[in-house]
Amino acid sequence: MAGDVGELREKLFQAVVEGDEAAAEEYTRRLVERGLGPREIVSEVLVPAMRRVGELYEKGEYFIPELVMSAEAFRRSMEVLRPLIRGQGESPARWVAVFGTVRGDIHELGKNLAAAVFEAEGFHVVDLGVDVPPEKFAEAVEKYNARVVGMSALMTTTMLEQRNVIEELKKRGLRDKVIVIAGGAPVTEEWVREIGADVWGRDAFEAVKIVKRMLGEG
Amino acid sequence: MVPSVSVLSRREAEEITGEALRVLETVGVFFEDKGVERIALEGGGRLKDGRVLIPEDVVKEALRTAPRRIRLYDRDGREVAVLGEGARIFNPGSAAIRILDHGSQTPRNPTLEDLKKLVIVADYLKGLKAQSTALVPFEVPAEVKDAVRLYVVLKYSGKPVVTGAFTVENLPLMVEMLGAVREDYAEKPFAIFDVCPTPPLSWSTVTSRNLVDLARLGVPAEIISMPGLGATSPVTVYGAIIQHHAEVLSGIALSQLVKPGAPVIYGGSPTMIHPYYGTPSITAPEAVLISLAYRDLARYLDLPSHTYMGLSDSKTVDYQAGAETAYTAALAALAGFDVISGAGMLEYESVQSLEKLVLDNEACLIAERLARGVEVDPQALDALKEGVLEKKGNFLALRHTRQHYRSEILVPKVWDLAPRAKSTGVPLAELAHREVERILAEHKPPLLDGDALRRLDAVYSKLWESHGLKPVPPP
Repeated sequence: MAGDVGELREKLFQAVVEGDEAAAEEYTRRLVERGLGPREIVSEVLVPAMRRVGELYEKGEYFIPELVMSAEAFRRSMEVLRPLIRGQGESPARWVAVFGTVRGDIHELGKNLAAAVFEAEGFHVVDLGVDVPPEKFAEAVEKYNARVVGMSALMTTTMLEQRNVIEELKKRGLRDKVIVIAGGAPVTEEWVREIGADVWGRDAFEAVKIVKRMLGEG
Repeated sequence: MVPSVSVLSRREAEEITGEALRVLETVGVFFEDKGVERIALEGGGRLKDGRVLIPEDVVKEALRTAPRRIRLYDRDGREVAVLGEGARIFNPGSAAIRILDHGSQTPRNPTLEDLKKLVIVADYLKGLKAQSTALVPFEVPAEVKDAVRLYVVLKYSGKPVVTGAFTVENLPLMVEMLGAVREDYAEKPFAIFDVCPTPPLSWSTVTSRNLVDLARLGVPAEIISMPGLGATSPVTVYGAIIQHHAEVLSGIALSQLVKPGAPVIYGGSPTMIHPYYGTPSITAPEAVLISLAYRDLARYLDLPSHTYMGLSDSKTVDYQAGAETAYTAALAALAGFDVISGAGMLEYESVQSLEKLVLDNEACLIAERLARGVEVDPQALDALKEGVLEKKGNFLALRHTRQHYRSEILVPKVWDLAPRAKSTGVPLAELAHREVERILAEHKPPLLDGDALRRLDAVYSKLWESHGLKPVPPP
């Protein structure tokens, strides 16, 4: 039995690394049926798998399409586990992260990837979706007592909206309570400094490392 | 004897059009704005799962009513070109949010003063037949950024302008600016507005409502589809072309539903999304192939065309910048695009450089010369005889040479073609900088004045006041 579980764990790990959504869901279910706790599955299989994906990306062996497919496989696995984790009586995630694509922009690829990576690293992610006005970011920070705000923009014109999100947070006295990540293809480190955001990661994996360090972890 | 670059045969263009029509009928288009969605539905679309399925006959009817040719004028009402006949109107790339100063490695925020300088330089450069609202001034409040840019161009240059609105509210005011300058702006258009669907197959509130307003107001709309290979469109060039075509057709259908005969230009800015960095490379060969292919699709439909080419994804004015700009400018010209936006641009359409603008002007002139091709010279045989038999091979002494060389030969002004002995040894970027300084010191742009300027200033004030802002004095 233990061997069987060990083999399934390995298969789930591979399914996430290889971005096989259907396999990720199936092995997650089978692991649950074998009695492995949902928290163990997340911390001992899914998180290491997403870290492995990050390492492969770092080495240049993985490109963005592989990252996105792994994030999708991770998400499918989490869809199975999330209700069970809730059912176990919550030991809530340590931090809440609010993610969204800024107003005027309806791209969500990068935001979805970042959400998956942050969730894999133990954050409770509130996904606000796309075309999110600054007020909604701020309201979500207040409502969920978030520690992290991630705002994404794909176009140079909508990137300007990121500044407005920070201004809104300042206006409501929330700026110093949160770590702000500005992401998106045209976003540079210099831009992040200029608008007064905190974190620029070349990718979601780098961003999560920086955020955890700022939160006194990792 | 005019060279031409083509990717698709007529039969292939027909096939791809068929595929795009099927996409519109089965996948449909998402309109974020409910009012615009209603226009599409009342025009024959069908709502399914939040997307509007557009039947083939609606698109075909739109293609029947969309104008084949658009005459483009300058600010003063002189005809510049007929769009739809391969007009090759090079113009600076638009809406850069950074400017790179000479000698700097790091772009900075552009100001209104930078935009004014860019407009003056572009006004001088012969390779650029049009202006664009090329920079987004940093110090101007977001509410009025788009329209203030247009004000600067209209005031400081007579060339036609490629522009666009960032908001729904400002577009009518921007059109009012055109009306202030010249009341017959719709009959004799001198401004083109960009509207971009959001890939894949979506229209945001701002751009779709801009498209609707432009159709109502009779101002040419350039529909710029931007598929990003592998990220916001299929990764294959073929798949992205179909998506691109479907997106543009959906825009044409919308504009014609609002007002049959509304002027539209088939445009695009396809990119290859870098599989590692996620950056949108505009000059990647795959992106360029999509552009060349949709030029053939526009030709098949007999519509005016636009592209973002003659620009670079490099971070600085270097070898890569020159190579990418020159090869895309040449291809765009040889493909016979009507409007070619991009001169001066670096870094994925986000940075402008005045020095690059001056150097790109030469690339545009070279591309234009290439595309003009070989003109038949009925005096060629006589000139050859005279040169060999009477002038002993010295064609420099021939009257024929004197008569024709200015019209036949392009002589770059800034690119260094001097012999080593006469070359100053000054790096090209420095020469370009000196040229920028010279133009700014010497060129007197045709400033708008009199009633037209007073009316334009009045709209400028109204623009600020409509947002509850105190107008900053016009630049």
